Amino acid sequence: QVSELVQFLLVKDQKKIPIKRADMLKNVIREYRDAYSEIVNKAARTLQEVFGLQMVEIDTKRHTYILINNLRRAESEYLCRDKEKAKMGLLIVILSFIFMKGNSVKDSAVWEFLHRLRVYPGKQHKVFGDVRKLVTEEFVRQKYLEITSIPLTDPPEFKYQWGPRAAKEASKKDVLNFVAKIQGKNPTFWTSQYSQAEATP
Amino acid sequence: ENREDMLNSKSNRLTEALEEANRLFDGVCRAREAALDAQFLVIASNIGKEKANELHSEMSAFDSAAFAEDLLTFMGINRTETEDSDDSEDVPGGFLPSNAWQKMGEEALKYFRRAPTFHYMMGSFKSDPPVPKQRIERQKKASRGKAERAMPAQLKKMEESHQEATEKEVERILGILQTHFENDPDTPISFFDFVIDPKSFARTVENMFHVSFLIRDGLAKIKLDEDELPVIAEPTKPSGRGEDDTRAGTRNQVIISLDQKEWK
Repeated sequence: QVSELVQFLLVKDQKKIPIKRADMLKNVIREYRDAYSEIVNKAARTLQEVFGLQMVEIDTKRHTYILINNLRRAESEYLCRDKEKAKMGLLIVILSFIFMKGNSVKDSAVWEFLHRLRVYPGKQHKVFGDVRKLVTEEFVRQKYLEITSIPLTDPPEFKYQWGPRAAKEASKKDVLNFVAKIQGKNPTFWTSQYSQAEATP
Repeated sequence: ENREDMLNSKSNRLTEALEEANRLFDGVCRAREAALDAQFLVIASNIGKEKANELHSEMSAFDSAAFAEDLLTFMGINRTETEDSDDSEDVPGGFLPSNAWQKMGEEALKYFRRAPTFHYMMGSFKSDPPVPKQRIERQKKASRGKAERAMPAQLKKMEESHQEATEKEVERILGILQTHFENDPDTPISFFDFVIDPKSFARTVENMFHVSFLIRDGLAKIKLDEDELPVIAEPTKPSGRGEDDTRAGTRNQVIISLDQKEWK
């Protein structure tokens, strides 16, 4: 049962959409409901020891999980499809913008920033296609971004923040280092962001 | 309205609005007016909160314009000589190479602890017991497992149920035919009488489909009667296995077409 669950989790993770406990129960565990937590724990152990992946619960109310990589990044080539790489590039740009601007940014500000990078919400992008959909739907579904509406705004405005997956897969420190590298400065240059980054593990 | 105005850190509009509201409140004597006042307070406090947020991010001023330029540089932008566009975002100067975002992504991946997407090396196919993974590779897509149990297991179930339904139907029809032949062994049934359901075209087609199974399996036979209309008859009883079977095995293909008009 454990190995079935492990396989199930690995396959489900392909799309990077969080895995629900209900799905696990329905498709894999079924009759063994009572042993659920034991099976899950063993599966998590296997993932960790065999694949170096950590199973993290990102929503304790609805019991949804994601898999993240527990091993330190190898400096060498990371095997990945080009399209996936490009998306990650866009993602880190957005995430760093959000962080440097105080962890929460208005949607208009995000798109204005992306505008400078020749990424436009209304226009098909050569690499990303429908960018607006990618950012507001795919990234949100994968829990990389969280978009919430700002109350009492008319026309409605939204604020963009880091999603739970982003918080687990990347740290503020990492992202600050990224920004520092790009701008050729020392991360301590931005004092408040730096102290935030140091504060969060 | 005037939201942007109030948010401006340099303006005191928010304070002024609050003060005016205070004054007005003295003249309030109806509940509805008080409700409006409360509504206003909510909006005002939201704006106040936003203002406070903006204050916070001013602390370590982050120049997003410069960041954007640095990002473009990193991605390998080719700045053309005609640098007349600074603020005009319609046709900015320079263009990005096609691998610009891939380059960004490669750098980005160093900062993410992303689980590599998992793919089977041998592909997937329905098979019975999944052999537990033999070799284990850390970090990258490993597992030379054979079967993709979680997904095909579901699909398998669905297919089975389809098959069962068809088989059941065929068996049912066979039962009907056999009953008839028991009672009346020498009278073949008119094919159309048998399959047509006066109330449903779809059912008719289904019935034809099921009958064709029986014929294929040799459990019933179709032949043409004097009027050249198809009838269903009992299969010739095989005297002994062997030759008869091979003879009965010569298959003929018949195509029957029936559209709704004809059916009616």
